[in-house]
Amino acid sequence: MTAAVTHQLQSGAFWYLFAFACLAAGVLIPGLLVVLSRNLLHSALWLLPCLVSVAGLFLLLGAELLAAVQILVYCGGIVVLILFAVMLTHGLGHADIRVVNQQLLWGVIGAAALAGVVLHLLSRQMWPIGSATAPADVTGRLAEALLSPYVLAFEVASVVLLVAMVGAIVIARAEPE
Amino acid sequence: MTSAPLIPIHSYLVVSVLLFAIGLIGVFTRRNAIAVLLSIELMLNAANINFVAFWRYSGGAQMEGQVFAIAIITVAAAEAAIALAIILNVYRRFRTVNVDQINLMKG
Repeated sequence: MTAAVTHQLQSGAFWYLFAFACLAAGVLIPGLLVVLSRNLLHSALWLLPCLVSVAGLFLLLGAELLAAVQILVYCGGIVVLILFAVMLTHGLGHADIRVVNQQLLWGVIGAAALAGVVLHLLSRQMWPIGSATAPADVTGRLAEALLSPYVLAFEVASVVLLVAMVGAIVIARAEPE
Repeated sequence: MTSAPLIPIHSYLVVSVLLFAIGLIGVFTRRNAIAVLLSIELMLNAANINFVAFWRYSGGAQMEGQVFAIAIITVAAAEAAIALAIILNVYRRFRTVNVDQINLMKG
């Protein structure tokens, strides 16, 4: 391998690593702010950069369709729905006196213990570093997988969405006085 | 696109674990039901990162990882719609959405 090719590979690796580090920070810091922010409206808005960064991670992994779906469904649908609910229940996001319950200490300890155990297990587990080349025609093969072996799950998912939509309308409808 | 993944899968899994732990802290400690829902969305996203990372690093030949991720996104959308409808109803009845004040069934 010539020096130029080696240099090019290292440069590619550097930019890949740089993009990964930016996206990881873009997932974790807004994620932390979602949980810690005292204002509920700010929490809901901090969810947006977190979800967009997750979509960026999907892109980095080569799942383009999933990144698009993530942006469309999460950022376009779920976050907007949550913002509506915040404004309908909470007013325009005035800060609560107390936003956490009495389990703060135990909650943090429990979550940190889980993360510690899983990270410890991860550090002992060695998976082979992807020897595979980049998969080609991901979206086409995903469509084939969804519509031939998993067509039942696909159809059930559409029924689930329909039932959820009707159920949400029925539950949220104002009761006749 | 790069020909092979340039970093070990552990980097993605560490991000996923930390995001899951952050969501878990939110579920454990927040009082507002909508904030709990936001934290659950974080945890679902952590699971999705795992699925896609394992899909990519197992060669990308089997599409199950992405199929599962799409299923999770579908369920998350349905869950958000239903949960927010329930939260609206609870707010109409109790005038609060703080989960530690909704204790009607407490003996």
